[in-house]
Amino acid sequence: MVQPRMGGPSDTLPASDGDGSIDATVRRAQQGDVNAFEAVYRAHAPAIHALCRRMVGTERDARDLVQDVFVRAWEKLESFRGQSSLATWLHRLAVNVVLNHLRTSKRDGLRLIDDVDDATFGSRSSPAASVETAIDMDWALAQLPAGARSVFVLHDIQGYSHDEIAQMTGIAAGTARAQLWRARRALTRLLDL
Amino acid sequence: MSNDNHLTEEERQGAADDSLDAERLREVEQHLASCDACARDVASLRMLMSRIPTAESSTDLDDLWPSIRSRIDESKVVSLDAAPSDTMPTRPRRGIVWIVGAVAAAVAILIVSLPPIRTSPRATSPNVTGDTESNFIGVADSTSAYEAEANALLNQLELQRAMLPPEARSSVDHDLRVIDSAIAEVKDALVRDPNNPALRRLLASSYRQKVELLKRASGAS
Repeated sequence: MVQPRMGGPSDTLPASDGDGSIDATVRRAQQGDVNAFEAVYRAHAPAIHALCRRMVGTERDARDLVQDVFVRAWEKLESFRGQSSLATWLHRLAVNVVLNHLRTSKRDGLRLIDDVDDATFGSRSSPAASVETAIDMDWALAQLPAGARSVFVLHDIQGYSHDEIAQMTGIAAGTARAQLWRARRALTRLLDL
Repeated sequence: MSNDNHLTEEERQGAADDSLDAERLREVEQHLASCDACARDVASLRMLMSRIPTAESSTDLDDLWPSIRSRIDESKVVSLDAAPSDTMPTRPRRGIVWIVGAVAAAVAILIVSLPPIRTSPRATSPNVTGDTESNFIGVADSTSAYEAEANALLNQLELQRAMLPPEARSSVDHDLRVIDSAIAEVKDALVRDPNNPALRRLLASSYRQKVELLKRASGAS
């Protein structure tokens, strides 16, 4: 699903195939080899960080969550059986960690979008309006309520279906779809598209 | 297809993300060719879709690893071990005896050197760094987890005993007795000083050594 981008020898770490076979490095990590787990971390951290960053909207929270995800992954790694790719397994784990974080966050929780109005999502004076597109998008994503942002990230960036999102977030599939559409609408306004 | 002669929201969104089936998409495209309002709206959504970032990050994350490693080590309770766990699977058999000896020696030293009664876990152990309530709970958790795992492995080993060479069987039994003796001593010390975090760490560490010994013994059979 996701290719490693960080430098170093970990770039050669192959993903597990999702066919029940587990890569030797992952297997060593499962047996308690922390150095092997570091290679797993280096191979998968960029994708996990991107997921966390876009779902929570702030870099500081994202970095904290990346740590939480990999500590949790270490604890649960023994349960990885290779039936999906390790990247998929880690993504699922990360989504759960982030959603739990958002649910317990007093600031925003998993708030959804009630209405895409100009007062909330009018962006014309956006401080990021003249910056690079990717930064614009990250800025715009951060303006969305956490629940709607999560739906958008999970569907349009990570490729999960509405049913899967419903299962992960606890909202109805129809609500997930409506929130996706509203999130897109809000983003087009925020980005002045 | 349309509501008030315009595309529905579902059709607009579907046209933007290519989720419409071919026939419906053809109808929608026909409408877009003749309706500026819908065409503008769908174009804006399509523009958004084209800006969706890849699911990767180019941020430097190397600096996060030491903290993750530290948390992993904490959960494994390795602070009193002489041998790091990541090198253990490749160690020769005689290394086991050495580790067991180290644990037993550590037990003896700790029991002798620690004052018997403590009133506050935080104030009790100057030789254990980073003591917090959560660490304390984590150590207790890891102890019970190791204990459960050790019991499961013991059962497994019983089934495989016959496949072990006599010399290995005897060696494993000896090592287990030493570790169990260390565990018993620490448990006794904990009865006298139940809030001592250093003893709890040592207990968890002893269990971990037992689990590793059993895993290796199971693997050797």
